[in-house]
Amino acid sequence: MNRAGRGGGLARPGFRTLTAGLLLTAALWAVFALNSQIQVFGFGDAGPDARSFPRLVLWLLAGAVALRLILSLRIEDAPLGDMSRLGRVLAVTASTALALWAMRQFGFFAGAAGAGFVVAIVLGERRPLLLGLPLIVAAIVAYGGRHGLSIPLP
Amino acid sequence: MLIDAFVELLNLWVLVAALAGIVSGIIIGAIPGLGPTMAIALLIPVTFSMEPIPAIVLLLGVYQGAIFGGSISAVLLNVPGTPSSAATAIDGFAMARRGEGGRALRLALYASVFGNIFSCLVLMALAEPLARFALDFGPAEMAMLMLFALLVIVLFGGGSKLDALIMVLVGACAGVVGLDPISGTPRYTFDSFAFENGFQLIPVLIGLFAMSEVLLQAFDSEPLVGDAEVPPLKSSVVRFAELWQMRVTLLLSSTIGTFVGILPGIGSTVPAFMSYNLARSRATDADQFGKGAPEGVAAPEAANNAVTGGALVPTLALGIPGDAVTAVILGAFMLHGLAPGPFLFRDHGLEVYAIFEALLLSSIPTVILGLLFFRIAIHVTRIQPRHLLPAIAILAIFGAFSVNNILFDVWVMLGAGVLGFLFRRSNFPLPPLLIGLILGAPFEQSLRQALLTSGGGYDIFVESPITIGLVALIFLSLAISLTLDLRKARA
Repeated sequence: MNRAGRGGGLARPGFRTLTAGLLLTAALWAVFALNSQIQVFGFGDAGPDARSFPRLVLWLLAGAVALRLILSLRIEDAPLGDMSRLGRVLAVTASTALALWAMRQFGFFAGAAGAGFVVAIVLGERRPLLLGLPLIVAAIVAYGGRHGLSIPLP
Repeated sequence: MLIDAFVELLNLWVLVAALAGIVSGIIIGAIPGLGPTMAIALLIPVTFSMEPIPAIVLLLGVYQGAIFGGSISAVLLNVPGTPSSAATAIDGFAMARRGEGGRALRLALYASVFGNIFSCLVLMALAEPLARFALDFGPAEMAMLMLFALLVIVLFGGGSKLDALIMVLVGACAGVVGLDPISGTPRYTFDSFAFENGFQLIPVLIGLFAMSEVLLQAFDSEPLVGDAEVPPLKSSVVRFAELWQMRVTLLLSSTIGTFVGILPGIGSTVPAFMSYNLARSRATDADQFGKGAPEGVAAPEAANNAVTGGALVPTLALGIPGDAVTAVILGAFMLHGLAPGPFLFRDHGLEVYAIFEALLLSSIPTVILGLLFFRIAIHVTRIQPRHLLPAIAILAIFGAFSVNNILFDVWVMLGAGVLGFLFRRSNFPLPPLLIGLILGAPFEQSLRQALLTSGGGYDIFVESPITIGLVALIFLSLAISLTLDLRKARA
């Protein structure tokens, strides 16, 4: 980032604006949902209750992020880049999510190997040996986890 | 106690764990883009079935090895394997270009070991007295101490204070999810049992440091290491007399590394550059710095290795992690039933001293393995992280699952990975988030316990000499930070 740029913020949003925007939305939603998400049963105790600390940190977070967004208007943002790069990130995230969702039906080996294979493809790997590596790693991890570490993998 | 602890180390598995940790650390550290934090986070599940001592020795071995491993790619390729090796690259790479790469690596290794031994001795001297002192702390003292630690991270962690504050608050907000520590009321659990345990530390760590790395590489798939030739390594030796001439530099750098390491959230990059600058300012041939001065390699390496022992002082004695790596190590201690904090030395003194002695003694295999492996590690520096990332993604899924054997933790890991990717692309620092997550819940608990004790009165925070001292430290930190900012603005 540099201050000599044309400015960022809402005019030319990048990663910082996107992240700060998401944080602000989440913080404000959490403040809004505070009473419904935290039930307080009063027993006449003095001092803060279960809502006090979350309320304080959420308002502080919302204020700090709002300040960051305002200050970011003068600072060049980290660009989002072309959509294919973001597409690769989404592909890895979606394939991992799919692997987790499918793990209950198809087991750890199939899910983990599938996710690893997609990661390899997305990262531009085309050599058969390196494309086969996720299968080998998933097999070793599944076998070692179940029999070596006694972990009840799905 | 020291002898009993040493007897605990006379176990083949401890030796195997130390050797395996150091070798894997050197290899992982030598690969640009893969750091010790990620390596340790991914290896924690492997240690589940191990006894606490070999398990922690393995993880600390990875840390020691990775810090030295980071200097291999820094010296030979000018690509720091870890951020703290950036200062080493300045003179190390210059030495390598004139054919003294082997000498630079030997210097880096010996300086690393010196820094490690120095900080270990400080750790052994300070941690238990500090923990014993903290046994007298009540909720008000603990709340003020944690507030001070969080403030230090925000004010002196480097980078933007506002960004650090945002990250601390994000961590504290994440710590709110689960059951209320005083009344047991569910908070932001969406009526789900899985949320009631809150976000477990290990899945979050794996997501933030391992999964986010996979996503970052997917976004930016440019190779970290190009096709640049590695300068030839000629046979060389570093004589004891040469190291003796650097004794003051090594001692000062190790002192800086250790004591800056004690401050929460600063990490090892800042002390590495501080030591480099100090060594340059003290040198009679300061103009040689940047052109291949041996002290320019030794100073940052001694400092960044000394941070380990320093950062472990507040981590083990008070449960306040010094940096991201020690936050991960804190998680490992907790998983093995050694809860860091004032009671650690009272309840598990034998195990803790055995771990300290192992950390001290592991300097011997570090030197031997470092000398044996740096020729092999040259080839390792050529490995592109993308070849390993599919395996890292698989290990991340496995590691997150194995903490509680539930898929919910893997979803938490994935969510933390996506957030970690966004934060790292946006230049928001991750260590404050981690420390906010670790300290947020106990800070709230101590604060509320103190206020319940006082009947809601805030005067409890200025009643005892300890709280008054801590409040004074808080104001002093604010004043120092403000003064530094004003000076910077004027300059």
